[in-house]
Amino acid sequence: MPGPQDSLERLQVGENPIISLEVQMTGDYLPIRIKVKNAETGASVEMELETDNTIDEVIESAATFWSKDMGAYVLRKGKKVLRGGSALDAAGVRADDVLELIPDPEGG
Amino acid sequence: MAEPLTIASTEQDRFDRSRRISWLDLDSISKSRIFIVGAGALGNEVAKDAVLSGFKDISIVDMDTVARSNLNRCLFFREEDVTAKRNKADAVARGLRDLYPDATVRPVVKRIEDVDDCDLRTARVALGCLDSIAARMHVNARTYSLGIPYIDGGMEGFSGKVALSLPPDRACLQCGMNRTHAQVANLRFSCTGSDVVFHEPRLAAEITTTSIVSAVMVREALKVVSGHPEMLLTNAFFYDGARNSCEELEIPLDPDCPVHRTPSSGYR
Repeated sequence: MPGPQDSLERLQVGENPIISLEVQMTGDYLPIRIKVKNAETGASVEMELETDNTIDEVIESAATFWSKDMGAYVLRKGKKVLRGGSALDAAGVRADDVLELIPDPEGG
Repeated sequence: MAEPLTIASTEQDRFDRSRRISWLDLDSISKSRIFIVGAGALGNEVAKDAVLSGFKDISIVDMDTVARSNLNRCLFFREEDVTAKRNKADAVARGLRDLYPDATVRPVVKRIEDVDDCDLRTARVALGCLDSIAARMHVNARTYSLGIPYIDGGMEGFSGKVALSLPPDRACLQCGMNRTHAQVANLRFSCTGSDVVFHEPRLAAEITTTSIVSAVMVREALKVVSGHPEMLLTNAFFYDGARNSCEELEIPLDPDCPVHRTPSSGYR
């Protein structure tokens, strides 16, 4: 089964990196672009997605893009943590939104 | 004839300064049993803050023994505990009794999975000081079903988090987990389902982040026990020590979360 690394395309447009999840082209294909910030470094990346991509896919793609250590991460929009299994539209993610990838620390 | 009040008499009261905080219910705090799961770095700090805040009835669970690499962040561990291979729960209990002789401290040298519900049921609050996602999920599910507020702490390097699960209506710890949590949890266990650890990373840990995370955890416990739900965290507190920033974030209740399929006895 392909993982996020298999479906991740890395593009470089000017100075802004863009990553897009591999999407199946359908008649109603409508990509949206969002920005994901890395809470640990302040870096950001634009992602091109379909509205039925899930939050889990965004987290895994962004973590892979930044070569994050194996660990748990959450994605926030504003003051809310987004549910992993939700599709972007169900999670209320819209074009041009800025989301933030935050580590969810495991140690005690 | 009653003793006249003197300035000096206030100095004889161990909790005089605490009594000056109007919302703290010190009577309730002293009578409430708390259950600390994990006696590592967070467990040490949480236990210390709890006993200094007036908690007198404390159970602390850990199956592990003290290692030298614990000594950079664990107040109650000593070099001789390493040599003696002392259990962490015993070492913390010894330190707490030394700090506050009136406290009743029960060290429980077991895996949390082996602790009977009878031991957990009478706790007013459970504080999770664990270092694995699987153990957190276990404690979260058990406390939620028993109706016990669960305050979970986590940290790595300068990142910290405190999450509050308040049954029966609020989101729980597991509601905020996603596929990355499952991947990390699965990585810790063998495919046979036994608890053989394949992969146990040594996470970065230092005392300043531990202190902040544990302080927030105990403060939330004080609010629960003092009867101030309106002051509690909504769901989670995230701390970034590298940038000196912190934020409270909402974790929406996940209707598919397995923890919510079991009826909870409700927050007491």
